[in-house]
Amino acid sequence: MGRAIVITSGKGGVGKTTVTANLGTALAQLGHSVVLVDADIGLRNLDVVMGLENRIVYHLVDAIRGKCSVAKALIKDRRMDNLWMLPASQTDDKDSVTPEEMRTLIFELKHQHDFVLIDCPAGIEQGFKNAIAGADEAVVVATPEVSSIRDADRVVGLLAAAEVPARLIVNRISAHLVKRGDMLSQADVIEILALDMLGAIPLDDDIVATTNKGIPAVLEGKSLAAKELLRIARRLSGMETDQRTAGVGFFTRLGRALGLSASPA
Amino acid sequence: MMWNGIKSFMTGRRSSEVAKGRLHLVLAHDRSGLEGGRLQEMRQEIAAVIAKYVKIDAEAVEIQIETRNRASQLTVSSQITPRNA
Repeated sequence: MGRAIVITSGKGGVGKTTVTANLGTALAQLGHSVVLVDADIGLRNLDVVMGLENRIVYHLVDAIRGKCSVAKALIKDRRMDNLWMLPASQTDDKDSVTPEEMRTLIFELKHQHDFVLIDCPAGIEQGFKNAIAGADEAVVVATPEVSSIRDADRVVGLLAAAEVPARLIVNRISAHLVKRGDMLSQADVIEILALDMLGAIPLDDDIVATTNKGIPAVLEGKSLAAKELLRIARRLSGMETDQRTAGVGFFTRLGRALGLSASPA
Repeated sequence: MMWNGIKSFMTGRRSSEVAKGRLHLVLAHDRSGLEGGRLQEMRQEIAAVIAKYVKIDAEAVEIQIETRNRASQLTVSSQITPRNA
């Protein structure tokens, strides 16, 4: 039985879909069998981020309505041996499926795959409720901005109420802005949201370029963001348990306390 | 960049610290479901209640919501005016 992980944020435009595409691809690179589920019915985008938009025949709502089998609605990624995607419908709306139907669907996918990553729509309404229904755990993506962290905090509260354990990814962090004092550091975000940290992805031009081409950045592999995404995937799969922030040495901490070195970025 | 550096040096607050302070406040309100304006109304009512029992400066009563590790705490503080003042 695999694990179902929902990638969520509350606020739109913080990089949920890009994180989902890259973590899924990275987990597949590590040898796991992975299916990516686009739960954003009506506003699907995981297909274009993955570069699989021209291969869609059936979608999630078809599979739930029994128009086709779940297996038939999956699109096999040709770049990887063990990566699939279940696209959202672009013509239905979020009320066309229920949390119960999603739970059944995700449960079936968990039987055949090690990881089911669910790309959650923005917002906290029906689409959010559907996306978290079948999830065993959650990854909350936030950028180091007041609006994103505020919305993430709402989502953390809702996930806690639904008893879905959550961990945090800080996205688009800029080391030099943090150093200059013009961006919240990853330590600030952890302190405010009081969540366990999976990783902090640096702001990286390479993500824009690879997304333009419909290629997950981890497949090209050289950028700083791609390296961090791969590290997060290793941690998600339990292959790497150390936490960079936890392993900070005495002198670094002393330096930070005295203000001699920058906070972790 | 240079100017920003000088400016934050002069004012003593970096924009990230301002963001952090604003977030602490807004999250405390969000988590408690209490709007900032309602909090001030409550402050005035509490001040009036306290003033029934002891002599205080109603305007100097402070009310604060603080959050630590997802738990929120409401604090009301007031200085009592000495009896013979």
